[in-house]
Formats: sequence, C-alpha cells, structure tokens
Amino acid sequence: MDNPAPRPPTDAPILELRQVDKRFLGTHALKQVDLAFRQGEIHAIVGENGAGKSTLIKILTGAHVRSAGTILWQGREVALASPLDAISLGINAVHQEVVLCSHLTVAANIFLGDERTNAGLLRDRAMVAEAQRLLDDLGFDLRADAVLGDLAIGQQQLVATARAAARGVKFLIFDEPTAYLTRQDTDKLFRLIRRLNGEGVTIVYISHRMEEIFQLADRVSVLRDGQKVATHVVAETNERELIRDMVARTIEEVHYKEAIPAGDVLLEVTGLSGPGFRDVSLTVRRGEVVGLYGLVGAGRSEFVQCLFGRTKRSAGQVKLRGEPVTIHHESDAIARGIALVPESRRDQGLCLNMGVGFNLNLPVFGRISPTGLVDTGAERRGAAKQIADLRIVAASAGVPAATLSGGNQQKIVVGKWLNHGAELFIFDEPTVGVDVGTKVEIYKVFASLLKAGAGIILISSYLPEVYDLSDRLHVFSRGTIVASHDAKSAHPETILTEAIGV
Amino acid sequence: MSDISTAAIPAPKRPALKSHRFGFLLNLTLLALLVVLWLALSVSTRSFATFGNFENLLRQDSMWSIMAVGQTFVIITAGIDLSVGAVVGLTSTVIAMLLAGGVPIWASIVITLLIGGLLGAINAFGIVNLRLPPFIMTLATMTALRSFGLLITDGQTIGGLPLKFILFSSHRTLGIPNLFIIVILIAVPCYFLLHRSRWGRYLFAVGSNPEAARLSGVSVNRTIYLAYIVSALLASVVGVLVASRIGIGIATTGQGWELQSIASSVIGGTSLFGAVGTVIGPLLGAMLLTTINNGANLMNVNPFWQGIITGLLIIVIVYFDQLRRRKTR
Repeated sequence: MDNPAPRPPTDAPILELRQVDKRFLGTHALKQVDLAFRQGEIHAIVGENGAGKSTLIKILTGAHVRSAGTILWQGREVALASPLDAISLGINAVHQEVVLCSHLTVAANIFLGDERTNAGLLRDRAMVAEAQRLLDDLGFDLRADAVLGDLAIGQQQLVATARAAARGVKFLIFDEPTAYLTRQDTDKLFRLIRRLNGEGVTIVYISHRMEEIFQLADRVSVLRDGQKVATHVVAETNERELIRDMVARTIEEVHYKEAIPAGDVLLEVTGLSGPGFRDVSLTVRRGEVVGLYGLVGAGRSEFVQCLFGRTKRSAGQVKLRGEPVTIHHESDAIARGIALVPESRRDQGLCLNMGVGFNLNLPVFGRISPTGLVDTGAERRGAAKQIADLRIVAASAGVPAATLSGGNQQKIVVGKWLNHGAELFIFDEPTVGVDVGTKVEIYKVFASLLKAGAGIILISSYLPEVYDLSDRLHVFSRGTIVASHDAKSAHPETILTEAIGV
Repeated sequence: MSDISTAAIPAPKRPALKSHRFGFLLNLTLLALLVVLWLALSVSTRSFATFGNFENLLRQDSMWSIMAVGQTFVIITAGIDLSVGAVVGLTSTVIAMLLAGGVPIWASIVITLLIGGLLGAINAFGIVNLRLPPFIMTLATMTALRSFGLLITDGQTIGGLPLKFILFSSHRTLGIPNLFIIVILIAVPCYFLLHRSRWGRYLFAVGSNPEAARLSGVSVNRTIYLAYIVSALLASVVGVLVASRIGIGIATTGQGWELQSIASSVIGGTSLFGAVGTVIGPLLGAMLLTTINNGANLMNVNPFWQGIITGLLIIVIVYFDQLRRRKTR
C-alpha cells in the first residue's frame, strides 16, 4: 500500500521492525510487518480487533518471539527473545489488562524485579516512600502501601503506568490504557504520557478512540488483518482516512451467505436494560441473522449475558415465540431453546478430551436416561443425526473433539444445542482466531441453521463479518444501540464511525 | 464473553488496607485460641500446667513447626510439597547410618542437610524442567523416598548413635529445650528470607501472578527451586532432630507428617491458592495442633478425635480464605 517516502537520516528510528512475521497454530497473526518508530515520537497504532495489535506488542516486549524478520534497536539488530531482553533495552509496556501481582502492595509492584535493598534486606519503607513520591508527583491519588488487589481496575492501570515510568524506560507501549479509566484519570494519564515524551521517551499508543490519537500522537500506523497498511502523520490525516484504512476490503474476504426467506418472529426484545447496557430493543425472525456490532465494552456482550439469564434485567420485556418470558437463570434460557455459542469454544463449549458423540449428547443426557442409565441407542442415534445433518467430519462418534478442525468443533457446539432443540442461537465472536477455510465452514453452519428455521444473533467485533452476514445490524456504543441498519444499507465506514461514536 | 469485564467500574479513593488486616486478625485469633486452650487445659487437668509437660509440648511442637515453615514457602508459590514426611524419614535414617558408621557428628549433619537440599532440588527439577504438577511430582518423590529409606536399611532399625547426639534433644539451654531453640534459629532467618528479602518477595510474586513476575524480569524457575529446596532442607533438619530425639533411625519415621505440615500452614493462614502466608502463621498453627494433641492425650480423649478436630479446623479456616478471595476478586 502507501508506504511513507524514505525518511531523511535525521529521523533515525529508535526501533525498527523489518518483515516481522508471527504465526500461531492455525493463524497468521502478523504478516511481514515493516514499522519504524522514531526517537522521541508518539506513535499511535490503530486497527480493528484481531488486526494484530496485541501480537505486535507481545513481540516488542519479548513476551512472544517472532517467527521471522529482524528487529533493530538504535540501528543494531537485537534478539528480543525474552521479557528481560526488552526491559534491559528500556522497552516497557502498560497492558490493557493489568499484568501485576494483586496480592502485593502498590510499592512492591512498582519495584518488582528491581527492589531497593540494603545488605540483602528489602528497604520496604524507603520503597513505599519513593513510590508514594512518584505517585504524588504524577498526581495519582493512590497510597503506595495499599494492596493492589484492593484497588479498582482503573487505579491498577495507573499503578502499571507509574511502574513503567519508575524504571528508566526509553520506549513505552500503551495498549488501550484508557479503556477502564475515568475522565479525570485519563487526563492524568495523558499528562504523564506527555511528560515522559518530553523527557525523550518514545511512546507507542494503541487505542481505538480516535479523539485520543488526534490529541496525543505525532504519527499513526494502521494494521489490518496482520498487515501494516499505512503510516500517516497525524496532522496530515483525518478520522475518515484512518477508518477507511481500517476497513478497506480485499476480494477474498467476501463472506458466504445464502438468501433465506425470513419467517415468523422468534424473539422480540423491547426496552431491555441491565448491568452494562440500557434500553435495547430488537427482533429476531426465523431464518434471520441479526448482527450486533460494537467495540469491546460497548455493551453487546452484557446485553447477551442478560438475555441468557446470567444477569438480572432492570427494565424491559423479552418475548419468545410471541409469549413474554422471564429468564432468571441460564437453565431457563436453555430450556426455552436459546443456545449461547461462546467465544472460546475450546474452553467453554466443549469437553475436548471426550468423544464427538459425548459432546453432542451432553445437554440431553437427562432426557435420554429416564431410568438413570443412559439409553445408548438414543445416544448413538442423536449423535449420528447431528453428524449427518451438519456434515461433521470425524472418523467416528468416538474420537475426541480435540482431534477435529476448528470448524468441525464449532459444528459440534451447534449440534449439541440442535440435539437439545434450540431455535435461537447466539454466536459470540464465532470466527475469532480461525483461518479462512474454517470461517467458510462456520458460515455454512449458519446457513443450515437458518434453513432449519432457527434465528441467529451474531456478535462480532469484525466488521466485514457482521456486515456481510447480517440481515439486520445493530450498532452498540456506550451501552446501547446507537444505530440500526438493514442488510448492507449503510457503508461500513458509517458503521465504524457510529461504533466509535465520534 | 469478550467484554463482560468492562462494565462501569467505581473508583473508590484511598482504600483501606483490607488484605493486610485479615492475616493479622487471623494470627490474633489463633493466639487467642491457643491461650483459651491452654487455660482450659490448665484448669481441667492437673498435669498440663506443669514444667515437664510444657517442655514436652515445646519438643513435640518443634518438629511440626519447622516443617510447616518450609511447607509455607512452597504453598506461597501456589505449590504443594507432599514429600516432606518422606524426607524426614529418609534423612533421619541417613544420619543414623552415618553416625553409627563412625562419621563425626558435624560431618553427618552437614551431609544429611546437603542431601535434604538435593531432594528439594529434585522436586523442583520435576516441577520446573519436566513441568509436572507439584502435587504429582512430590507424591512421586514421597512414595519413592519412603521406599528408598526402607531399601537401604532393609527395614531394620539403626541403633548405636553417640550419646552426645542423643542427649542434645533432651537438654536445654538457658532453660529452653534445645529443640525449641532450633525452631527460633530457623524461624528468624526464614522470616528475613520471606518477608525482608527480594527472594521472598519473588515467592509471593510467583504465587500471585507468574506472568507478571516473568514480565518484570523475575526468574520464576529459580524462585520455585528456592521454595522446594527450603522446604526439603527444613524437613532434613527435622530428620536430624528426630533421630536425636528417638535415638535410632527408622525409615518409617514421619509418616503422615506432610499432612500435619500442610494443616499447620493452612491453619496459620497460608492460602493454598498462593501468595498469602507468613512465618509466624505456621508456627502458631503447629502449636495449636500440638496443643490439641497433647491436651487430648492428657484428658484421655480417644486419640481418633484429634484427626476430626484438625479436619474441622482446616475446613473452617479455608472457608474463610475462600470468602476473602471472593471479595477481592
């Protein structure tokens, strides 16, 4: 794409990635990334969820080792093979999820791995005093002798920042640092970032909040599908351009979707409110995919958790097949034919070491063992039916679920709920971390569900997916639906703009 | 779910130091419980509040105390050491064989303690390098070491230990039984190691969040080695003391003591989930169990009750630990 012109030598990069590549089992997380960070700049990185931002940070901090490519630090090639390598170069990160020890005090966390000692003994009082000075100096209203786990997550985030500032850092990465912060804490953080930057620290700032990037950064790079697509000078770009870079499509990504006529109304939600979301109304018909798009923390998952009976609603009504229902508990939802297909199917959806047939029958063992003994005939028939209907590719119903491909595992999760008689399927990020072939398989599962008269709610942070698959798309932002669109009636850029809420 | 944890988070300012207080309160409660038990036993039996019995209590207590402190080091890293009882048995046999073979006392002790440290390193090797779960690795060494002791002694009792060695455990210095002096000589450096040195800090860090420790440049592996070596080393100290106390070497000595040490540690407030524990806690826990034991004997209570009382104590204390965890998470 549009690589920036060769830079004059005065812009010597402090850290440079050349053709850096990272593969995990089944996924290609970073693809030949070239990226140069200039000494003393604030460099923002944007991209949709799954674009490779987290992997990039992990490589820069030595938590993961790249599969290929070279990394130059001040012009010299470095290994960067362990966290210690990164720390000793002066590279540090403040992670989105706080990676600290919740049992230790704030001061102990700030000095972890770099304790002040006197003749082998910890100088705890001195460390607390020093940490307190640092916190006060930064304007953080925190006690250095408080136990970290007693603090709110936003405050722990500030501790993580102070910790990085305390250890002579030269290159500091922030991964969505403001996700959990209040307005005031965000301002404090920004002041700290500017101050560190003024002292010559190079800052990498990762965020999906556009206004923060325009407030803070000098340059911004866009990642999409593991590739770097562009680097812009912030003063010479705008939100529209960045969003276009983030969602731009290539041809092979067009998603498979069959036209299926919609049937009668399966689910009708009116004015539902609960913890983390408010006033959500939507309808799902048989044969329809309703997409919920939004950034992490926008309230989609909170809404679904409530719909599934995991949290209590505070207002609103839910009608299932035309009848008002109250779902107190997950088992109510399951009994009424709602199935939740979790994001992490390996951890939450399957008993991986058990057989395909066992997994397919897991929700119905109560029904097929009326005497207490399992009716093995019914077990076999149930499994055989789902294996045939969903075209699950397995040597036999006895092989462990772990041995199947990602797509076939997803089919087992769907199959066990079909076996149970579910009609409304909620998919939470069904294609996270799966390769293109598996994605197509999963979309085929959608099609067969819809043909059988089921309705689907699809939660995805991956815009192209919800965009292509949804018959109706609701955009979540800050806890509620901010916009609704019929299939492909709005431009993806509009949708992303709505979700970001600029 | 992908983003359930991002619901609005309240931001309390300047929070109270809840976590510190719990451990302190627990220790205070244990101490109060001990005093109540002692008073009750003094009133209800004529023999409890005698000098001889108190001395006996301290001697009994010293074995379990030392093991419980070592066990605590391991549990703080969220591990478990089931092999300590077997280490006691094996090392008490080894030192008896060395002494009976004419090796000088000081040399026998040094060799035995070295073997103890080595056994801890073997546990750590399995856990760190072979990535075995601590429960499995130490269960395996427990079984193997016990049999090894029987193998080298052919199941026989080793006698003929020098009198000077045997008398050590029954003598006292400045009016305090020697065995209890050893407890103090061990507890003090252990206190400094655990609470005042960076290595102790790393034990807590590894038990709390090994990934955070790793990303801070802490060597998680070395820290785990430290924990298991300390535990086995202290168990071998107990092996030496027990050989002196009973005056012979028997390979089956210390059977079930691993559970006593875990119970003492847990009763003393060590969390089996890691990152919570002190040196004083297991000392109090061991003293409580010893007192229950001793009191039950004096009161002619059916000895089978002792296990039931210990079990109930563990359930109550771990339940409170669970409650605390649920609140802080």
